[in-house]
Amino acid sequence: MSCTKEKTDYEAEINTVVTEHYEFKEAAAISSEGYTISIEALNGTFYKGYNEIRLKITDTRTNENIHASSVTFLPVMSGADGSNTSCPHLYDLTYNTDDKYFTGYVVFTSESNTNRSWELYTSFVVNNKNYPAKQNITVQEQPNKNLNMTAFTGKDGEQYIIALVSPQKPTVAENELIAGIYKFNQPASPPSGSFPDPSQFSYTAVSNYTLQLDPRMPEPSMGNHSSINNKDLTQQSDGLYYGVVNYTMTGNWTLNFIMLNQNGKILKGTEVPTDFAPGVEGVKSDLYIDILF
Amino acid sequence: MKKLYTIFWTLFLGMNANAQNTQAQKDTAKVLEEVKVIAIAKKKIQTEMKMAVSVDEFLASSDNISFIKRGAYAWEPLLNNMSTERSTVTIDGMHVFGACTDKMDPITSYVESNNLSAIDIKSGQEGSLHGATVAGSIDLKRKSTPFSPEKKYNGAYQTGFEFNNKQFFNLGNLSYASDKFVADGSISFRKAGNYYDGNNNEVNHSQYNKFNTSVALAYKTSPFSAVRVDAIFDKAKNVGFPALPMDLWLSRAIITSASYKQLFQHGLIRAWDTKVYYNAVEHYMDDTHRPENLVHMDMPGWSTTYGLVSRANLKRGDYSAEIQLNAYHNLSIAEMRMYPQDRSKRTMFAYSWPWVTTRFTSVAMNNSWDISENSRVNFGGSLGYNYNRSKYVEFNWIFHPGTPQEKSRILPGLHASYQLTINQFNFSAGGGYGHRAPSVSEGYGYYIYNSFDRYDYIGNPDLKNEISYEANASAGFKNERMGIEAKVNYFYIQNYIIGRILSLGSPMNYQSVGVKGYTSLDHARLFNMALNANYNILQHLHWKGTLTYARATDDKGGNLPFIRPLSYQTSLHFMYKKIGIQTSLNGDLTQINYSPEYGEDQTPAYMIWNISANYSFNIKNCKTVLQVGAENLLNEYYSTYADWGNIPRMGRNIFTSLKFSF
Repeated sequence: MSCTKEKTDYEAEINTVVTEHYEFKEAAAISSEGYTISIEALNGTFYKGYNEIRLKITDTRTNENIHASSVTFLPVMSGADGSNTSCPHLYDLTYNTDDKYFTGYVVFTSESNTNRSWELYTSFVVNNKNYPAKQNITVQEQPNKNLNMTAFTGKDGEQYIIALVSPQKPTVAENELIAGIYKFNQPASPPSGSFPDPSQFSYTAVSNYTLQLDPRMPEPSMGNHSSINNKDLTQQSDGLYYGVVNYTMTGNWTLNFIMLNQNGKILKGTEVPTDFAPGVEGVKSDLYIDILF
Repeated sequence: MKKLYTIFWTLFLGMNANAQNTQAQKDTAKVLEEVKVIAIAKKKIQTEMKMAVSVDEFLASSDNISFIKRGAYAWEPLLNNMSTERSTVTIDGMHVFGACTDKMDPITSYVESNNLSAIDIKSGQEGSLHGATVAGSIDLKRKSTPFSPEKKYNGAYQTGFEFNNKQFFNLGNLSYASDKFVADGSISFRKAGNYYDGNNNEVNHSQYNKFNTSVALAYKTSPFSAVRVDAIFDKAKNVGFPALPMDLWLSRAIITSASYKQLFQHGLIRAWDTKVYYNAVEHYMDDTHRPENLVHMDMPGWSTTYGLVSRANLKRGDYSAEIQLNAYHNLSIAEMRMYPQDRSKRTMFAYSWPWVTTRFTSVAMNNSWDISENSRVNFGGSLGYNYNRSKYVEFNWIFHPGTPQEKSRILPGLHASYQLTINQFNFSAGGGYGHRAPSVSEGYGYYIYNSFDRYDYIGNPDLKNEISYEANASAGFKNERMGIEAKVNYFYIQNYIIGRILSLGSPMNYQSVGVKGYTSLDHARLFNMALNANYNILQHLHWKGTLTYARATDDKGGNLPFIRPLSYQTSLHFMYKKIGIQTSLNGDLTQINYSPEYGEDQTPAYMIWNISANYSFNIKNCKTVLQVGAENLLNEYYSTYADWGNIPRMGRNIFTSLKFSF
């Protein structure tokens, strides 16, 4: 006797709105005086939000992968109004000796469109010679809401960006939640040297902050449903912030945050009501990120 | 040779006692005594008041059964005031598990009165033959026609109408028996609309439709052996549950088995019966007829079980025994899919039973030794092994991080009793000890909404075994004119499993007010008492009365929920020639010991008066009985202590029924 209704294929269920990418592919290639710089990102695409990048430099004559030094990376967005801004990124890339590539990250704060375009500025040194290079790139919308980001100004007047790094594909379970928290470093002096002056576009990962977490389902019928055993995000040695989020079912969730600085002072975020409120859209903290799986 | 046949079909009958053939049984009672080792009290499927009863109504007539009712259909039987997790409910020893997390489909809802011959109820550890238990066992005995030297057809057709809820039913069964071959078949339809309470208000969502059919074929492979295949198919559609926020759209069950029975003329082993079985249950709820629901939700459930039962009956001199091996494998799956108000948005999904496997094996033995003419010792025990696995254990980890995916338990059980008869008095005293494993919901349930206390329940895979220590006693007196019997039992249950409010977590179902987790109380105590009496006032006028009382407390002396208050039933039965008239009064006193902590409020006392009359006559060779009666004649408005959400019970119900049998 076959069943009247089919059972849900749980693995496929989570795949319906989330595609997980594992593979780094070339997202941009820049040529500079006999060298090719290949920048790889997951799925070969730069997305709005957090992107881990891998950079390889090849000598075009020998086709050899070379170990340059002082590799820098700087994304700059040009607006139609002539403004130039950047986004959180690692300026001095680090070399991964095992896999022979330079590694870093970039958190694009907006997608490319007709009013704004992104340019990557890189440079490296081979045999004491500096090779600058630049390339226009396209930043696409991140279809996976689990890699969402938010940008805001804290109570200290600083500009902050929080970007989700992991999990790409959450499950109804306890999930390790990883986020990056970055701050724009206001330039101390006016621009100097040739464009772009990195001191004008400097971001750093903040140290020893705490991101308090209260995940809730915003859907009115879920009545402000939450989960238990969640852990606030704290910084680990790689500079990223690690916490735990429990999702009790698939669907829309809001990660409500309160961000505290190293002295425990609230810089952004509000407590959300904890009472069960069926039929009412969940109240969100003024610092939150929506996810969906 | 004829005697051998007699032995054979008596045996066939013996284990599936067809109490309607009382004459046949009398003739072969002696033989029966020899092979039927331990006396089992069995009742035929009809109550004194009503001949066309549902399985639930029939069970309700037993004094240690009470019911949790969520509507007019699929009542959950409570044995010794304990819910179905604590008892084993089987069909001819076969384990079947409902597919509904809200217990809308107890096993008793998948059979029909015309495919059962009897229901065998055993209290406490005496019921451990079919599997580990605390409260006891309820075994639904399938109808089984014995082999017959002459070819014989038997059949019955019953139809009726009940006015309150416009229930119309048709029940038919037919059997053929010959020397080598027996076939049994049954079919039934029931359709009922909403019922009306004692204030003549319609109780919305109390309708039901049920179709049930069964077939069994037996073939005699030798004078002392036979094979039998058996199947039941049951389908309920559009069943309302007024006490729940949803109804049943469809449930279907197919229950199949094949068995081989061998009899032995000599030696210690007298009979050996081995059966393999398979059953599958699917259950789909429907909340689309409830406009008050904010959220639409699909809650499908599936339960598939296969297993083996093998039983040997032993007898030597004054000693007799039954040994039974049980083994089954069950997979229980239940899903929740909630639809957002904006249907274009993503649905929300979770498992309420995350693919939970249960494997159980037990060996059990019941022994009986007649020490003297008037005394007997019964003793026995069982040893069970219970294994659970949760496929999607990450659901369980949310509330119980790191709990193992698999869990094994050893479930021992022991019991002994002594029976003594002195002249017209009889006495018995006994005790028992046994473990049970948590049920699938108690161990692995995930946000199972309980509309009684309005909490979402979370299972705990690490619960300890529930351990029961019980004592029971009875005393009775019987003569030609009258009988009186008092029975008491007492359970001290360690690690008593019950839902406790969790201070953390928030509900998922929008009707609920909080989250409860299954936890173990240090202990709980249950006491049950029943007093039965009968008196033959005149040759044709009989009186019967029953009084039951129960009391149950948790480890802090607080009341446990769903414990029946003092209740009574008294009935008069008058028979004269072809006419029978019955009348009964039954009711509960005010529920004094209710439990607000577990969502109960006080239920007031009520009393119901029923009356019925029947007339028997023959049309050719066809025995015909016509019955007319009324339940709740005074149209009392009431609900009982175990009515989910205090939904009112049925008001006055006039019922008619006509039965032909040949």
